[in-house]
Amino acid sequence: MREIVTIQVGGFANFIGSHFWNFQDEMLGLDSYGDPLFKTESLNMDVLYRTGESPQGTRTYTPRLLSIDFQGSLGSMSSQGTLYNEGSNASSEVVTWAGNISTQASEPQKKNLFLQSLYQEEQNAPMGNDSNGGTKGAQNEIQDTDIVECLNKGVQFWTDFSKVHYHPQSLYEVNGLWMDGKQFDNYGVGRDVFTENLRGEEICNRLRFFVEECDHIQGFKFIVDDSGGFSPVAADFLESIADEYTNTPVLLYAVRSPGSLMNLRSRKQTVVRDLHDAVSFSRLSSFCKMIVPVGLPFLSTSKASTFLNIEDENPYHCSAVYAAALHSTSLPFRMEPLGPTAETSDASGALDVNGLVQMLAGQSRQNMVAILDVAMPAPSMRGKQDEHSLLQNLQPLTPEVAEDVDDLQAVESMTVHGAIVTEGQRASISEVKNAVNAEYQNATTRPMFCHLSVAGCPLPIPLPFPSIFGNLVGQHGELLGSPISGSISRGSLDVHSIPMAARLRSSCAILPFLENRLGNLRKFGIQRGALGTDLLRSWGFGKDEVEDFGETLSKMVRTVDPHSEISSDSD
Amino acid sequence: MSLRVLNPNAEVLNKSAALHMNINAAKGLQDVLKSNLGPKGTIKMLVGGAGDIKLTKDGNTLLKEMQIQNPTAIMIARTAVAQDDISGDGTTSTVIFIGELMKQSERYIDEGMHPRVLVDGFEIAKRATLQFLEKFKTPVVMGDEPDRDILKMVARTTLRTKLYESLADQLTDIVVNSVLCVRKPDEPIDLFMVEIMHMRHKFDVDTRLVEGLVLDHGSRHPDMKRRAENCYILTCNVSLEYEKSEINAGFFYSNAEQREAMVAAERRSVDERVRKIIELKNKVCAGTDNNFVVINQKGIDPPSLHLLQQAGIIALRRAKRRNMERLVLACGGEAVNSVDDLTPDCLGWAGLVYEHVLGEDKYTFVEQVKHPHSCTILIKGPNDHTIAQIKDAVRDGLRAVKNTIEDEAVVLGAGAFEVAARQYLINEVKKTVQGRAQLGVEAFADALLVVPKTLAENSGLDTQDVIIGLTGEHDRGNIVGLNHQTGDPMDPQMEGIFDNYSVKRQIINSGPVIASQLLLVDEVIRAGRNMRKPT
Repeated sequence: MREIVTIQVGGFANFIGSHFWNFQDEMLGLDSYGDPLFKTESLNMDVLYRTGESPQGTRTYTPRLLSIDFQGSLGSMSSQGTLYNEGSNASSEVVTWAGNISTQASEPQKKNLFLQSLYQEEQNAPMGNDSNGGTKGAQNEIQDTDIVECLNKGVQFWTDFSKVHYHPQSLYEVNGLWMDGKQFDNYGVGRDVFTENLRGEEICNRLRFFVEECDHIQGFKFIVDDSGGFSPVAADFLESIADEYTNTPVLLYAVRSPGSLMNLRSRKQTVVRDLHDAVSFSRLSSFCKMIVPVGLPFLSTSKASTFLNIEDENPYHCSAVYAAALHSTSLPFRMEPLGPTAETSDASGALDVNGLVQMLAGQSRQNMVAILDVAMPAPSMRGKQDEHSLLQNLQPLTPEVAEDVDDLQAVESMTVHGAIVTEGQRASISEVKNAVNAEYQNATTRPMFCHLSVAGCPLPIPLPFPSIFGNLVGQHGELLGSPISGSISRGSLDVHSIPMAARLRSSCAILPFLENRLGNLRKFGIQRGALGTDLLRSWGFGKDEVEDFGETLSKMVRTVDPHSEISSDSD
Repeated sequence: MSLRVLNPNAEVLNKSAALHMNINAAKGLQDVLKSNLGPKGTIKMLVGGAGDIKLTKDGNTLLKEMQIQNPTAIMIARTAVAQDDISGDGTTSTVIFIGELMKQSERYIDEGMHPRVLVDGFEIAKRATLQFLEKFKTPVVMGDEPDRDILKMVARTTLRTKLYESLADQLTDIVVNSVLCVRKPDEPIDLFMVEIMHMRHKFDVDTRLVEGLVLDHGSRHPDMKRRAENCYILTCNVSLEYEKSEINAGFFYSNAEQREAMVAAERRSVDERVRKIIELKNKVCAGTDNNFVVINQKGIDPPSLHLLQQAGIIALRRAKRRNMERLVLACGGEAVNSVDDLTPDCLGWAGLVYEHVLGEDKYTFVEQVKHPHSCTILIKGPNDHTIAQIKDAVRDGLRAVKNTIEDEAVVLGAGAFEVAARQYLINEVKKTVQGRAQLGVEAFADALLVVPKTLAENSGLDTQDVIIGLTGEHDRGNIVGLNHQTGDPMDPQMEGIFDNYSVKRQIINSGPVIASQLLLVDEVIRAGRNMRKPT
């Protein structure tokens, strides 16, 4: 078994994670209902999940996950999770104190319609069936349409739309910071959070709990919201992981919500932001094997959301797209490795985390920054050159990426799953392979190498998925020729599943991203009399350290483009 | 006002408004924490938005759970939490002392006194009080064998403010014994060598001291022994799992046998390491019924586990980093980083190793060790918040004992020090001070009384009566504290109520500093946001 332990740090990372685990939960549910399309035998769910037992003796199946967020960010969910709670009423008596007791109850967080319906269902359904979310809405008192409506209007916490049961060790809340999310927005404020109050020790212990169970861990999937103070928390955590689990690769997704880039009013704030980006990227990248920056400043108007209808300021919307892409890229890790010649009918192209990292970051150029592209939904695999070709539809979710770059040394790993040939007919593995190969043959720019993973099962759309599909997307995710009349946004009630294609590529298209960070660091941090030297000092970085960051970044630039001008000047 | 020109959104509070904002924040925080103090204080049950229960009587924990917004309150809270980091106790006292200093100052400032003069008085009073503390403290001689009785009294004083009496008394012995267990002559005490483990099981009174170690995981092989006596312990940090090499070497094979052979070759180096451990086991255990336990910080994969099990070895993987240190201190031997030169000298010894399973949680007990320098306090309780509360109390108790050993001194508790210091300030120091700074000394002296006052208040006694009684006795030359049962003065020495010297010193040191800073603020500026909104 090749287990993966998932780590989510920070607000937006947990939003993405929540969607991600909803997909997994939906797949488990559909599988147990016997939907042939979602048979997961070829996709081993145990890679991401662990089996356990609650104190009451019930068997549990929970994500192998460690989530770190602010105190209070769990909304109406208890940090103990939902499965391992003892009878909540009986336990409230105080046995350790004979004197007075004063109770200070904060106002209970109201569960929204969705969570209420989940709770109801659990009360009615026999145990073991509850993994399937609220899909059978007819006899429910709460109508699915109301739920979708309610979620689209008011999602405040990531737990508001989560239908997954979490293990009590999974949810860690950072307390005692005495500031809200708005103030916790740069590298400096989060600097000591990991080390203070033995938080780091507690966090590492929780991680150890999950790792100890693994017979053969293949890697960590680390998602961090690096737009604010959680970035140094993650960096310190990564450092301790690199120290403790030296040979276990870490695949790092540095995500940020579109909202985090708005509201820059003054020049000073821009400097803070630019320096934060540079420092955070440099620090994070030094403790992992591969880093994938994810998060466009304007997702709604980007090419990646051609068929989608997204509100940029709504993290519930944006995170869904990123989660779908992360789901697709994680599929090869779950396929059973069969050797190069063997093949099953519903999956091919298994890869483990180490394999992926070696392929993209370990080959000739050693470029550890990868670009995430997604086609959501993936176009049909007819092989004809109609208006939607797969390669054209794959659009980056990584910011500041150059377009139309001809890079002979590019390496790619693509995952296509649930692809459609014609309406209502799924493409077989070989059909997909042929179609992709044909596309590459015809393409003007070709990578040096492309690994292709194909799976039969499409991305299931669970009920709490936001209504973000445009009116060109059909019920099974097929792209329609003419728009469906009616509402502009289609959600989980209209679209049941979609075919997906996602790609991680190591290419010199990342160059602008790196150069911007290096340039900003030089401009505001290193140059004589730079605006941000005092700021960096207040974040606890001396001159030498800042220069080290610059060196790290310029090395990255040089790996991608040896002739780059910006990397070479060193005074 | 020039700021308004620069930023029309900026809000400015000046002079008295700024001062009163600070004073009110300090008083507000004091009000919240006041009822915590002392053995008759109120325990607080915090129920979160999602129904999570937290139970605490510890000022430090309470501050961390509160979502404080007011900047002044945050400043005070940070000082108090730092107090806890340094000396392990005194959070509540710091907060109420700062609050009281501000409250006393308010009286004088309202009468037209300038804060600067008060602050000068504070400084004089602070220095005098610290000097007085040096005279007042009770020295304790810490030879090779520390005086257990005094340590127990200090621990009990702390624990009784956190737990009901009989449980506190039970924990007193546990706490004192565990600190003495990890204490090494001529070295600072490392409290991390006392492991605090908890089990959600049975009752709070089942909490006990394990001489040895409790690990929160078990062996991962179904056929390994669950209980073994007379065990050699090998503590190591050696990877016993097959890891892919850094270079992506693909397998090339044409049939199943070849593939098997390739995999076997890859595994060989791992197996070699396992074999070396087994060799050592055979060497030391041959012909006896002794057992062999491997506790590894790195991973052990199923094939290795299988080999070890075949050889009759119990193996645990992914031990906590700190436990590697603790194991060596508890069992002896040394932690090895490579299996190349294993000798019997590397091995530790434990009389009994057994596993305890609770639901999905496994615990491994390593007990009956020979000369332990590390031990485990095993906390039991019916639910998480009970366990958390006992844990807080145990931490405070450990710190109190450690402080006593390191300070080589204690201070009489139950408010005795505060009353004595106040009398000293009023009767002697004040006279030596010139001019209006006298009032600052007086304010400081009165603020000290907040401790006995709050103790009395929390016990439901009349504060005036108590203070008059106490100061009267002190004027007669008797050093007395407050008996919280009756409200009468009593001798803390007789009752065995002692506080930590370093905690007291820290409070006296940091309280006036923060209070002075807050008093000297005469303008509060905040750009853009509304600071008058209720928090």
